[in-house]
Amino acid sequence: MQLVWEDVDVGEELPGFSLDITPRRVFLQVSGSQDWYPVHFDAGFAKKGGHADVFVNTGFLQAALVRVMTDWMGDEGFLKTLRFEMRRQQRPGDTMVCKGRVSGKYERDGKGWVELEVWAENEREGVTTPGTATVVLPRR
Amino acid sequence: MKEPSASRGTYDIEEVRRKYIGFETAVAKGRYPVEHDTIRRHCHMVDDNNPLFLDPEYAKKTSHGAVLCPPSGWLALYFASLGPWPAVFEPLFPIVPTPGKRIVNMSQEVEWPARIKAGDHLSVRGRVADVYQKAISLDAEAVGIVAEAIISNQRGETVCVIRNTMLTHRTPEEQVIGDR
Repeated sequence: MQLVWEDVDVGEELPGFSLDITPRRVFLQVSGSQDWYPVHFDAGFAKKGGHADVFVNTGFLQAALVRVMTDWMGDEGFLKTLRFEMRRQQRPGDTMVCKGRVSGKYERDGKGWVELEVWAENEREGVTTPGTATVVLPRR
Repeated sequence: MKEPSASRGTYDIEEVRRKYIGFETAVAKGRYPVEHDTIRRHCHMVDDNNPLFLDPEYAKKTSHGAVLCPPSGWLALYFASLGPWPAVFEPLFPIVPTPGKRIVNMSQEVEWPARIKAGDHLSVRGRVADVYQKAISLDAEAVGIVAEAIISNQRGETVCVIRNTMLTHRTPEEQVIGDR
């Protein structure tokens, strides 16, 4: 069923999901993002650059944060803006948990706008990738 | 014009800022249109099974009439650029000279004025919005670059605007050599 603006409450949590960052997931990341920068799959290259290990890339993190919202908002929802920061890393061995929360809602130009906080976190570092977004939802 | 040097001891951030902030790249057209299987691989890396992105028959029956490209600035830029094959890693952002060639993305802002559908053919125009020096844990002389990408479709409509902030840094080994 399509989510409508009137049924959204400020403070409401988006369901979200979790992904284990396994070696297989690291390869899926390269395939799915087509990001061949070795810091994201070659541990030797990453360590030579001063990192503890490889870490997942911007495209992967963005795809995950986008999924939190597109799973929730339905086919007629429209993601208008997304801003996110890569403050800490998601590495092999981590379980990346992606979540969201409704932080505001308002009407503008006859449309129903929703403001969201979205983020990725893990047990090792807490919130690694905080973000904010705006979504337009259909009206009832 | 003399090119600013990126070598140790001669790197002049003010000269680089003067020369490169505001620099715009020529419009580049994507090699391929927005394709189903590239979208599938992108979705499946994060276990995204949304039929609006994956199932043409399902998407045809929605108000959109076709599979949508997931609203990822990363994927839009992929379709709008020439594609990373043959792969070129270093430097990823070859326009601005920097002391280090290692890259860490710091943040990204993305705006979608319109939806992108399978079959669209995207183009991109890039612009250097800012260049600055910033000490980070990996390198006390890291250089930040803020780059904008304006992506349009085959009708000339802007469909995605990306503002990406990255830091370029030297490896620890390069810093030891550079500090001698």
